[in-house]
Amino acid sequence: MNKLGRRWTDKAEFGIFTIPVLICVAIAFYIPFVLTIKYSLLKWNGISKHGTFIGLDNFRQIFTGDTEFIDSVWFTAKFAVLYIIVINVLAILLAIVLDSKLKSKTFLRAAFFIPYILSLVVVGFIWKFIFMQGFESLGGSTGWSIFGWSWLGEEKLAFLSVLLVSIWQSIGFYLVIYIAGLQSVPEDLKEAALMDGAGPMRRFFSVTLPLLAPSVTIAVFMALTNSIKVFDVILSLTGGGPGSSTNSVAYNIYRDTFQNNLYGYGTAKALILFVGVLIITILQLTIFKRREVEG
Amino acid sequence: MRSNTAGRVVFEVVLVLIALLFLYPLFLAVFNSFKSFQEVMTDVIALPKHWTFDNYSYVWKYINYPRLFLNNVVITVIGLFGIILVSSIAAYKLSRTKSRFSAVIYFICIMPMLIPFQSIMLTVLKTAGFLHLSNSTWGLGLLYWGFGAPLAVFIYHGFVKGIPKELDESAKIDGASPFRLFFSVIFPLLKSVTTTIIIIDVMWIWNDFLLPLLMVNGSPTTKTLTLAAYTFVGQYTSDWQYAMTAMVMAVLPSIIVFIFLQKYIVKGVVAGAVKG
Repeated sequence: MNKLGRRWTDKAEFGIFTIPVLICVAIAFYIPFVLTIKYSLLKWNGISKHGTFIGLDNFRQIFTGDTEFIDSVWFTAKFAVLYIIVINVLAILLAIVLDSKLKSKTFLRAAFFIPYILSLVVVGFIWKFIFMQGFESLGGSTGWSIFGWSWLGEEKLAFLSVLLVSIWQSIGFYLVIYIAGLQSVPEDLKEAALMDGAGPMRRFFSVTLPLLAPSVTIAVFMALTNSIKVFDVILSLTGGGPGSSTNSVAYNIYRDTFQNNLYGYGTAKALILFVGVLIITILQLTIFKRREVEG
Repeated sequence: MRSNTAGRVVFEVVLVLIALLFLYPLFLAVFNSFKSFQEVMTDVIALPKHWTFDNYSYVWKYINYPRLFLNNVVITVIGLFGIILVSSIAAYKLSRTKSRFSAVIYFICIMPMLIPFQSIMLTVLKTAGFLHLSNSTWGLGLLYWGFGAPLAVFIYHGFVKGIPKELDESAKIDGASPFRLFFSVIFPLLKSVTTTIIIIDVMWIWNDFLLPLLMVNGSPTTKTLTLAAYTFVGQYTSDWQYAMTAMVMAVLPSIIVFIFLQKYIVKGVVAGAVKG
């Protein structure tokens, strides 16, 4: 009898402790997610109260005739690959430089970290001002022609601008991850390599880099997750333009859903984004798991 | 030896210059917020000839800065409070209960980390509307409880494992209720991870854009700082002196906080990334 009573209080306790969080994630994720699946099967202009059921027509239309969406997938893929490579290489190099004994170490780290604490939308606007107004003055006083280029008005340059601003904003984050990683590399290992007469390049590739592997894993994972969702910078810096050359998947979904009021169609794209992110994440986790086991 | 030290100094000076160049866009934003319209148009890179606070007093009044600042504080505080409360107690119980059922619940809690916000933004808005959470700062704050919970549960769950179970047992023998046990024995021991979660979540909620845009952008009384800056640029497309002032005012609180808490913020961000 007593034992049974004990079991019930245990269960009640478990419920009281976990039900609040379950309600919260249900409201934020699970209910919206189920609704997303439902909406994706509707034709709905957002004005009428309900949509009409059209089965998988939205998906058919997206995959066969929506060149803008396909282009946005390409843009996002290109952006993600370049972002991941450039930001990690730069951050590792910078981390190695800033990990040495410097008097201004604290200032330097803070300086590179500051943009990361700012809202991306604001960062986008500040850079828009620099590209549109600042470059004109800089061109005038330096005479350099790169300041005269149309950084937001020409397709290839606009792509570079989005990439540059995204990297500028977040490099501090990757930098501190790598600095933390470097600090966990034992000093005597570096010294041993120095004693063996290994040059700086040798030391970097055969001692530092392998020991940084866990940090690289984290940083690449974060860079991928963040770059496939790129949105805020595009909204404030280029608005997806010129044309639709900097239109990312997330931005394309946002525009279709809230500006073109295609509730069903936009939601179908949103579901495709979810499946894409899921597949990429699972692939990434399995690859890294396998590598960790081998290493 | 001496040339080596000289080289070091030069190297360090170059690094400082690079860092200053890196921050140059921010300096330009600040300088131009103190210029008149004519001055911005004639020369962006020059220092202001006549420093003026006119832009600031104009933008301060126009966007009702104190009100927006308060909105940001309300949203962030409500969100943070709930995320920490709800996630820590759940993570504690889930970590202590070893059963398949408990593992499933844990999975349900952390699984949403895989769902990109843009995949559910429209339906989140609909759900929030149905629950009467839209168009209010506290409604938005409440919504963050769910959005912040997965990562917080994940981080707390891993940390609770390292707290010896004997502590629970001895508190129980002393007759402490489950809540007493959690809040007076366990929660204080979670301090270091709680700090990490506070830092990551404050940076996220304070600067968040898309969710507030969908939830509270309807009225000037519920807007956040970032939203106001965003709307402001839309209305004053060529008045860059006002736009830059709005930008500086939007990011100044973050920069001031960062200058004072730099060490903790960097540590928290690293810890959060490594655990997440």
